[in-house]
Amino acid sequence: MAGAFDYTPAIVLLPFLSFLLALGVGRSMPKGGALAGIAATGGSLLLSVWAMLAVANGGTYNQTIYTWAAGTGNSFELTFGLLVDPLAAMMLVIVSLIAFLVHVFSLGYMNDEGETGLPRYYAGLGLFTASMLGFVVANNLLMAFMFFELVGLCSWLLIGFWFREEAPPSAAKKAFLVTRFGDYFFLVGVVAVFATFGTAAFAGEGSFPALAEAALAGEAATEINTFGFAPQTWFTVVGLLVLGGVVGKSAQFPLHTWLPDAMEGPTPVSALIHAATMVAAGVYLVARMYGFYALSPTALGIIAFVGGFTALFAATMGVVKREIKQVLAYSTISQYGYMMLALGAGGYIAATFHLMTHAFFKALLFLGAGSVIIAMHHNENMWDMGGLKERMPVTYWTFLAGSLALAGIFPFSGFWSKDEVLYEALAHGLGGTPLLLAAWAMGLLAVFFTGFYTFRMVFLTFHGEPRTDVARDPHGVGWNVKAPLTVLGVLAVVAGFVNMVPVAKLTGAHIEFLHDWLAHGLGGLTSEHYGELTGQFAGYETGYVGSELTTVLLSGALSLGLALAGAGLAYKLYNVPAPVEHTDRLGSVKTLLFNNYYQDEYQVWLADTAARNVARGADKFDQGVIDGVVNGISSVSLFSGSRVRRIQTGVVSNYAALLTLGLVALLLGIGLMGGWFL
Amino acid sequence: MLLQTQLPQWTALGPALILAITALVLFVIDSVDPDSTDSALLAGVSVVGTLAALGVAAWFLAAGTGQVGTGGEITLFRDALVVDGMSLFFTAIFTSVAAMVFVASYDYLKDRPDQAEFYSLVLLATTGMALLASSNSLATAFISLELTSLPSYALVAYLKRNRGSVEAGLKYFLIGALSSSVFVFGISLVYAVTGSLLFSDVASALGDLDQSFRGVAGIGVLMIAGGFAFKTASVPFHFWAPEAYEGAPAPVSAFLSSASKAAGFAVAFRVFVEAFPIATAVDLGIDWVLAFGILAVVTMTLGNFAAATQENVKRMLAYSSIGHAGYVLIGLAALSAGAATNGDVLGASMAHLLVYGFMNTGAFLFVALVEHWGVGRTFEDYNGLAERAPMACAAMTVFMFSLAGLPPFGGFFSKYFLFASAIGAGFWWLAAFGALNSALSLFYYSRVVKAMWIEESDGSFELTSRPIGLYAAIMVAAVGTLVLLPGFGPVIETAQTVAAALFG
Repeated sequence: MAGAFDYTPAIVLLPFLSFLLALGVGRSMPKGGALAGIAATGGSLLLSVWAMLAVANGGTYNQTIYTWAAGTGNSFELTFGLLVDPLAAMMLVIVSLIAFLVHVFSLGYMNDEGETGLPRYYAGLGLFTASMLGFVVANNLLMAFMFFELVGLCSWLLIGFWFREEAPPSAAKKAFLVTRFGDYFFLVGVVAVFATFGTAAFAGEGSFPALAEAALAGEAATEINTFGFAPQTWFTVVGLLVLGGVVGKSAQFPLHTWLPDAMEGPTPVSALIHAATMVAAGVYLVARMYGFYALSPTALGIIAFVGGFTALFAATMGVVKREIKQVLAYSTISQYGYMMLALGAGGYIAATFHLMTHAFFKALLFLGAGSVIIAMHHNENMWDMGGLKERMPVTYWTFLAGSLALAGIFPFSGFWSKDEVLYEALAHGLGGTPLLLAAWAMGLLAVFFTGFYTFRMVFLTFHGEPRTDVARDPHGVGWNVKAPLTVLGVLAVVAGFVNMVPVAKLTGAHIEFLHDWLAHGLGGLTSEHYGELTGQFAGYETGYVGSELTTVLLSGALSLGLALAGAGLAYKLYNVPAPVEHTDRLGSVKTLLFNNYYQDEYQVWLADTAARNVARGADKFDQGVIDGVVNGISSVSLFSGSRVRRIQTGVVSNYAALLTLGLVALLLGIGLMGGWFL
Repeated sequence: MLLQTQLPQWTALGPALILAITALVLFVIDSVDPDSTDSALLAGVSVVGTLAALGVAAWFLAAGTGQVGTGGEITLFRDALVVDGMSLFFTAIFTSVAAMVFVASYDYLKDRPDQAEFYSLVLLATTGMALLASSNSLATAFISLELTSLPSYALVAYLKRNRGSVEAGLKYFLIGALSSSVFVFGISLVYAVTGSLLFSDVASALGDLDQSFRGVAGIGVLMIAGGFAFKTASVPFHFWAPEAYEGAPAPVSAFLSSASKAAGFAVAFRVFVEAFPIATAVDLGIDWVLAFGILAVVTMTLGNFAAATQENVKRMLAYSSIGHAGYVLIGLAALSAGAATNGDVLGASMAHLLVYGFMNTGAFLFVALVEHWGVGRTFEDYNGLAERAPMACAAMTVFMFSLAGLPPFGGFFSKYFLFASAIGAGFWWLAAFGALNSALSLFYYSRVVKAMWIEESDGSFELTSRPIGLYAAIMVAAVGTLVLLPGFGPVIETAQTVAAALFG
């Protein structure tokens, strides 16, 4: 299998090169470095596809490239390495494809709109893409953490791109700080993994998931330090620490508050963040080390529950938003909730599937929204739009395809993946893990809200009569906007066909391609192995309502029915020539939803009171005790220093006397101790 | 391998012989032309001689002369002298310092009438130091100690029309005489109970010593320690140091505080490890390890505390030099009988002396440069100096931060290894005192840096010249301090290997 994998580092390095180019000579390059970025991400895309083909032919790659810190003795090594297995190969293609399309789209969104600071923008995009690709191919947790942090840094740079305005820098800071709060736990988790296993490798015989599995099965070859806890308890603790970073990056409750604010960044960046890079990083990390999480039923339960709750919670907030990007932001939080639900419910494939379809349709929706925003001269309020359907047909039809996918309407891609997520949760819930049923119920309910807010957005934006002059005569968009939309529109429709589980179950045809895809690869990293692990260690079994087939169909019908109900309600309320706000009917709930359940407020309150008090205490300790001691020491030493100066009288006979006395004192002291005078 | 087979044994003393011959050559030059003011010739001969000695020492060290790998130490003159890794290591320190001092003196002494005397005295003192490091008997130790000391007294009083210099020389001489008498009395007591002056014989005689004589032996041992404390400027024999360093010409201060101190430690290490082995001494109740522990803590604390309150930069450096003697004493204080860590501790001390040789010499030479300009001696006088002489001030900053033990300079590594090896040997309290004192020392070292770079000058002085020799010497010292950063691995390995051989 020579060839493809030898070029894997180039997948990461090409966008990095474009970052360097844009940063260094971007000013003198045509289009402010855009073409270099397009070429680099295009190259990455080709290499990724090549790598995926190599993986499809049964190849995998797990290689340490560079050891940058080698401990002595039996301590551990810190390395950079590459891991390309089916999961990583799939993610590489998704990330590089989306990044490529986002670069193309940026030509229309940034260059054609005459933005300034383009080299900075394209440098940011290049580094962002490179960091995410590096994260995807990382073969150990520490390297993953480093790229994870780089992703965070880039999001800060890009969200705050318009730093001269008031809101973007503040949003950038918020995104940085909130995700950093989660990453703090992640870092502790990384250290804990090293301390426990002595390695942070994801794959192979000596990888930490494999060591953990062996330890739980009682066949540990090497000693594992669990710091006095029962192994399973300790693994749960470590897993939850790492999960802290995941919750922050993937914007799960309660660390989701940064994501809606992050809409202040340029829209192509939002597409990149939401579809393929930053937010996806969290979920990808859980999938990457799923062999570790699968060992801990507690961690899985928490993941599932947080996921289900976030899915519902964010969906309800999306219902009342006025700005098109805000709706999409909450939908992202909600959709990543589904992925977490799937992971927690033992649906590794379902989660990966949804990660893929979501990447396509969410990128599509954001780019579509970007197209609308260009047309509307950067007004994002949906209540100022309306009737754009006739005026921008390409955007409308592709946006509609994305919306149908997001809402989970048959046969668009989102239907298949969301259906599988819910089916996994239901089946494992019925199989004796009732907690999953609660998470499933929340996820199911969220389907209704998803359908509602999605179509509310579509109808308000594109249907009815234009409500403003700008909407009557929108700004046209060029090929560089339409082409990415078309590509993604097609993918949003067809991506689901790679894994039509209900159809497969119904007809018996062998068309679950994604199942096959993820079932091969490196030993210990396959979906089958994960299935065994969740069964063995987390006690996940499959239960059915009646037979398997009825359960599959029931689950599919339920979610489709709810989605249609939500879409239908939106149709009734908003698909009228002159829609009006119906939010007043919600009464006091409206205020609650508009204020996002006061999440920001309570977190600010928490930071204000708790953190400020802790800080005040620390300050007092620092000022009083530490500084006191330091100042005390310095004044004591200066004082005694001046005494010492006084001994140095300048009179030689004094010196001789002191010298002799000192020697005698030393002689007496040592002599008495040694008993010379007895 | 190299020397035992190819060269006669006496050539092992090559570095010391070259130094002595160079001194004699200078005498010849002086007698041919007694009033010579040809600085270039005199300084040139001295530098060539010391560099040749340094080269031979480094070559021997690299070739493994006198080390375990090539048949062990070489003893000469019926065991009165010994050449081994440690003596060569220290010879390298002495000759490096002396070479820098000579280069700097080229400018410092320009147009003075009696230059040849200066160079030959420094060379004779350096010869004494090289012999001191090779001493294997208390008699040779005493003789070479005096050979080191007597030229030093004259050198401190070299500016004979300068009251401060003459006064400092006299005080140094008086305290030196007292210390020498203490030292020689200690030797006589040890000889009285052991009947020998050779280190190995003393050690075996002490092993069979009647318990009733242990008081006599103990007093002798501690008095010998006193003699070394004088040479290394350790408490309570340190009183001469601030006065002598302040009054002496700055190159002489550099020479005394770096090379002379190292020489004291060289002989102390050998005498105490070989003549008074720890196990034997502790059995007799002569706990010299504890004595050095006390001296180390008192010396470093007193030196640093006193340095913190000085107004005069040269005097501050004098006290800081006392403080550093305290750090190096850890090498004798963190030992225990038969411990495997002994070599590490002693080697770390030796490595610190090497680094100290560069950074401290450089600092004193910077003071010499400032004296040459006639700028003034207090911290305030240094205000704004960096604007006029940025290169020299950058070098001085390197010396100050390295002396304080800040990374990434050589002083950080040597201190780090010293404290780490002390902790490794179980003497964490010594390391704790050392670390506390280092933190304090940062205060007064950074005062110099602050004065040079941050404070505004009052603009009353003009730098008249750029003395090339002083500059060169300072730069060599600065580069030495910095090169020890990547090169510290070989240095510490060599030092710890040769130190471990001492315990073997």
